Amino acid sequence: MQLSRRHFIQAGAGAGFAGAFGAGLGLSAAAESKTMPAWHLGYQNAPANGFDPAPMRLVFGKPPADLKGSLYRNGPAQLSYGDDYASHWFDGDGLIHRIAIEDGKAVHQARFVETNKRREEQAAQRFLAPGFGTLGDESFAVTSPDDTNAANTSVLVVNGELLALWEAGSAFSMDAETLETNGPKTWRDDLKGMPFLAHPKVEPNGRVWNLAVGGSHVGIYRISAQGALEDFGMVDIGRAAYIHDWTMSERHMIILVQPWINENLRPPVVAGFEWQPQHGLQMLIIDKDDFSNQRWAQAPARMFFHTGSAWEESDGTIKFDVSFYKEPVLGVGGGVSEIRGEWNKENFAEEGVLTLVEIPLSGDAKLIETGIIGEFPQVNPRYRGRSRNLVALASGATSQRPGSTALAVHNWTTGDTQSFEFGERRMVEEFLFVPKAGGQSDLDSWLVGPVLNLKTRTREICVFDAAGVNDGPVCIWQADYAWPLGFHGTWA
Amino acid sequence: MKTTAALTALIATGILAVPIASASDLTVKVEGISKAQGSIMLGLFNEATYNGDGSVNGANLKVESDSVSVTFEGLAPGEYAVRLYHDLNDDGEMNTNPFGMPTEPYAFSNDAQGRFGPAKWDAAKFTVGADGTTHTITMN
Repeated sequence: MQLSRRHFIQAGAGAGFAGAFGAGLGLSAAAESKTMPAWHLGYQNAPANGFDPAPMRLVFGKPPADLKGSLYRNGPAQLSYGDDYASHWFDGDGLIHRIAIEDGKAVHQARFVETNKRREEQAAQRFLAPGFGTLGDESFAVTSPDDTNAANTSVLVVNGELLALWEAGSAFSMDAETLETNGPKTWRDDLKGMPFLAHPKVEPNGRVWNLAVGGSHVGIYRISAQGALEDFGMVDIGRAAYIHDWTMSERHMIILVQPWINENLRPPVVAGFEWQPQHGLQMLIIDKDDFSNQRWAQAPARMFFHTGSAWEESDGTIKFDVSFYKEPVLGVGGGVSEIRGEWNKENFAEEGVLTLVEIPLSGDAKLIETGIIGEFPQVNPRYRGRSRNLVALASGATSQRPGSTALAVHNWTTGDTQSFEFGERRMVEEFLFVPKAGGQSDLDSWLVGPVLNLKTRTREICVFDAAGVNDGPVCIWQADYAWPLGFHGTWA
Repeated sequence: MKTTAALTALIATGILAVPIASASDLTVKVEGISKAQGSIMLGLFNEATYNGDGSVNGANLKVESDSVSVTFEGLAPGEYAVRLYHDLNDDGEMNTNPFGMPTEPYAFSNDAQGRFGPAKWDAAKFTVGADGTTHTITMN
């Protein structure tokens, strides 16, 4: 189980795949900026009008016959105006991608979310809105959080409605076919403008749970599979912690109150956070049937962005997987330099480590650290909240550039880890589980995700068999162009 | 629609102290109202009252179309500002979400907008001259 970055680099050398395709495809490195490193391709602007639907070419393997649906993704794609760079990666306008896959064919399209922020900044052709890492222009009116909403973090599809998600404001309703923006989503009149976190939890039956975070006050949404708000409640988590994600089992919500605290949420928000490790990592466990039925669990201080999912053992022990850091990263120093093409590995030495958290019915939580580095943990959606085997991560790292180099899948039951190393010239993003038709366990799944090929300067969508990631991709489609790195996606 | 302001609860403070000499009329028009229901709850302020609870005058205006107007008579010429909200459900309160953000439309004179709070006096103030004034506010 003890894997290191070195393991992934060695695994990649052994796989011998990295150079097996891509060369001689017509798009050369000639287009590469003379002043920017090759990896900066991942932080460049997308065209203002996005991308019209365009077929991707199958460049490797045979697409699974049962793979049918759309991979929707979101990420910041307006990171400069002229020579002026965004102040933080998290503050770029959200670009919504749809990669529609059917009959072995893949078609890519993308549109920016037409937020108030984007309209105003596109008209002025400069950055105006305050944000996570941005002070903002004094002339920019802020009458509600949605005035600054970048809608750039994730996507959710509920009953056919596509939602672009941020974390400090409303979800934005989008047309799932054309990706045109409808506007901010109001779940109920009295909840207009309430934040809707970018990490909703969807039960296998389609019911959606999510949080609204405002300092130490946290709202809880319960939304039916048909998209109707069923319940909304409030809880107090005691501290104004940074909450980007959380986790959930079949019976409980678990809110991780990490000791990264901001009591004054004024722009730039990131500047107000303070690391207070003396508090440790406190976890509020809430009964999904009765929000007032709560208990706390304590763990050593850790920082995190993303969890996998939680489940409960027969004795009541709650377990969940998470990528943990020893202290805050990215939000502080990272996320600023990369968009300017600057990379100093010494400043970004900390990598997230896949960790299993075990919370007994009483007493402190136990952390089981695997040594596997990675981010964007994902599980099979049919097994969310339930006992399962696999968690997938964008993994691996290189001193040569930011971002991941590998896909890793860890099996908690066997302790085995499978991985595929793409090499330094492919930047690996979040891979999603897409259950196989008629699957009998969470191993019966495809993994679908995007890669940015820095050699051909094009995008690729890769499919793996979740049970055989060591064997390499099942198939790869390639676009004729690149688009910038994103954050999260969903399959619908 | 023209409504003459009645002495409502909103004008409980201030108005009787306004000198009657050289009095002017102010007509406030509110346009771009999204829903023909409820009431526009409008307060007129001077600099001394703008950041407090009291107002110089005020009006509750029934909404039956996309616009309403009101005329305040007998004002002393000078600088004023308007704050208003659209009480969609006529409960007499500016409703907010659980985090305190307004869930009913609101506006300020000069269509001024705030930055993490109400519009500032300097952005919302306008002058009522000796010959009277009409001021138009457009709802977002």
